[in-house]
Amino acid sequence: MSTTTTTPPPVHHYEENFSRSHALVSWLKGQYALGILAALLVIATITRGSIFWGATNMTNLLLQMSIIGVVVLAQLIVVLTGGIDISVGSALGLAAVVAAGLFGGPSVLLGLLVALVIGGIIGATNGWLVAFRGLEPFIVTLGMLALARGLVYAYGSGIPITPGAAATYANLGQTTIVGIPLLALVWLAAVALIAFLLYRTVWGRRVYAIGSNKEAARSSGIPVTATLWSVYILAGLLVGLGGWMFLCRFASGTPSAGNLMELEAIAAVVIGGARLSGGHGKVFGAVVGTVIFAVIANLLSLLNISTFLQDAFRGALILVAVTLATVQFVRRKADASGSAK
Amino acid sequence: MAFKAVGVKKHYPGVKALDGVDLEGYAGSVLGICGANGAGKSTFAKLLAGVQTPTDGVINVTGYPHPVRNAAEAEQAGVLMMHQEPLIIDDFTVGENVWLYKLRAGKDIRPWAVKQETNDKRTREVLRGVGLGHLSTRDLAKDLGPGQRQMLSLSRAAVTTHKIMILDETTASTSEEHFNDILELVAREKAAGTSIIFVSHRLNEVFAMCDRIAVLRNGKLVKVLEAADTDADEITTLMIGQALKALDRPAAVQTSGAAPVLEVRDLHGGTARGVSFDVNPGEILGLYGLVGSGRSSVARTITGQRKAAGGTIKLHGTDVNLPTPTAAVAKRIAYLTEDRRLEGFVKDFDNGQNMSLVALPKMSTAGVVRSAEEKKRVRELIGEYQVKGGTTTYTSTLSGGNQQKVVVAKWLETDPDFVVLDEPTKGIDVGARANIYEIIHGVAARGKGVLVVSSEAEELLSLCHRILVMRNGQVVGEFDPEQADTDDLIRTALTHVD
Repeated sequence: MSTTTTTPPPVHHYEENFSRSHALVSWLKGQYALGILAALLVIATITRGSIFWGATNMTNLLLQMSIIGVVVLAQLIVVLTGGIDISVGSALGLAAVVAAGLFGGPSVLLGLLVALVIGGIIGATNGWLVAFRGLEPFIVTLGMLALARGLVYAYGSGIPITPGAAATYANLGQTTIVGIPLLALVWLAAVALIAFLLYRTVWGRRVYAIGSNKEAARSSGIPVTATLWSVYILAGLLVGLGGWMFLCRFASGTPSAGNLMELEAIAAVVIGGARLSGGHGKVFGAVVGTVIFAVIANLLSLLNISTFLQDAFRGALILVAVTLATVQFVRRKADASGSAK
Repeated sequence: MAFKAVGVKKHYPGVKALDGVDLEGYAGSVLGICGANGAGKSTFAKLLAGVQTPTDGVINVTGYPHPVRNAAEAEQAGVLMMHQEPLIIDDFTVGENVWLYKLRAGKDIRPWAVKQETNDKRTREVLRGVGLGHLSTRDLAKDLGPGQRQMLSLSRAAVTTHKIMILDETTASTSEEHFNDILELVAREKAAGTSIIFVSHRLNEVFAMCDRIAVLRNGKLVKVLEAADTDADEITTLMIGQALKALDRPAAVQTSGAAPVLEVRDLHGGTARGVSFDVNPGEILGLYGLVGSGRSSVARTITGQRKAAGGTIKLHGTDVNLPTPTAAVAKRIAYLTEDRRLEGFVKDFDNGQNMSLVALPKMSTAGVVRSAEEKKRVRELIGEYQVKGGTTTYTSTLSGGNQQKVVVAKWLETDPDFVVLDEPTKGIDVGARANIYEIIHGVAARGKGVLVVSSEAEELLSLCHRILVMRNGQVVGEFDPEQADTDDLIRTALTHVD
């Protein structure tokens, strides 16, 4: 398509003038989460280096972060739309116990299907209320948190449910492929899938547009409600997958499965640089956030710190990271308004 | 003298927003500051108001011991800044907003001593002073229109003591009705000995208000003129550094035989009540009216931005139902919004992402974007539409004119059959304005239908083939721009006699 312009237009390529090394440096400057991770790894190396970097601990660490990692991805896509999902922990718990208990949990594949269906239903319900009824995501998922957790306790009467195929589950949980746990590979596949959807598809672009500026998205003909709904459904499916992974890891649907996972998932997403008001955030950041929390938990137990204090440490880290994030944000904003003139 | 700026510079990384400006303001006098977007006029206003500090040079406010260093000091020195965006708290009542400044912190203010402002009589007097006498002080601010919000914000001038008042593009969101109220306000301030600075690129308003006019270009002061000794042509020439070539008339439309692109019959929706019109291929139809006349309701209803309450819309002779913008986009109807910041572009997107936002499905296979093609296409678009900045520059950091070019590119990339533009040149400087007009002519020349909604009569007269005037939700007049002038349009919009 051509316009009526007759003079050859001046083409500006400010961005192309930066050298690659300059781009790398400026990229690193924004990755304060990587800085936190590096600091943690240094501390780990100094204090418990030999145990921390040992093969057993590394496998443990990977297993630890795989389940929460999938949930973090679910949280990320919801946060990108400007929403929040605090029902992820309960939903994961419900997916796990129902997958373990339904028909006696005879098959791993059937369990996966059940977990996905449960997660999908919860996500679809959340999403329908948010997208079509216009309710606040916080309050919708708060209700769902209580509802799903209640169902978890009711389903198993508060007792852990062991699936019929417990041995197969445990087997899967311990399977490694070229030294990497199968569950970690599932997580990495989910990371790749979400990154692909967000960065390379029309759907992903719409998610960012809706989160950044819902009015502009609507006005531009983007199907806002349908896209929002699909985001919550996908988040639900990921959480369901997380529930199935939980079964693989522990071979049992405990009533406390996924407890407080929403806290860690939201914190990981925020530490990874996503903005809670939506429209801004990267998969890479969310992955780094996931790793940070796994390393902290791992390190604190290696250092024999009581579980009560562990929670306090985690909370303190969230505050520190969020403060760092706002420092970054204020500076960037000042730069942006400066260069705008 | 009220203030004196000497050698003022403001440098941002890579940009010299102001580069050595000397300027004085006098008590009881209005100084206009004109310039194209990016000339540095708003920067000067911000420096004077202490919102930002100069890189070099000083601004002394008469009666204050040293140059002001921040906004609080500027306020103590007696500088009152009226921003482009009205400072209004939506959930407060009109009355509470009038007395908003009492909530701020400061030496003479005791925030803990807040008491309900009971002096309704004084509040109403203040509101009358800005042409809002008909409002109840208990109305919520969020229920006001954009013009009324701006006037409510301006009411602060009546309740604070100040020596210098800065109006930074204050008229950008007000329409012609409110301008007289602003003129009266300024006249009262002048009589009280206030030095007033009016930053604007609406030249007719500058001439109506100002005693002296300072022209800035690329951060430098070009000239300060007495308003009585100059005219709009000279100021425009000084602003853009060359004489503006007269806009060509659009090519005549060949209407004979061709069926209309769009036929609207008895349309209801919003404030529109029974509107009918046709738009022929290649025709630019203008829609003029005051705020609330229904002009924007028509634009929004025929583009699916709001649901129609009744009537029919035919596109190329077939009835279309447009319940959502998505439906309108599918029928290749484009809508360039009046509110660019809210609806025009996505603030976290760069130019490339914004320009491909609507047409992205065309650049993708089964929902997967063909990235290389997208990158190539948006780079071409940046060149075609002469957008300043690259494909990865954030649209929100650009000037209004460049933002609008991005929005225009975004919509025209979908190759629409019918284009609706609501206030296409609002807040845009003369240079970019000419670009936008050329683009609109180009769309019409390709045989598409165009509807331009505007509150500026002159704009429609020079741009359109035909103009409809609306009042109270109905079309009350039709004009041929060759045989009509501004006066005809405004008169019809205000009072129509059958």
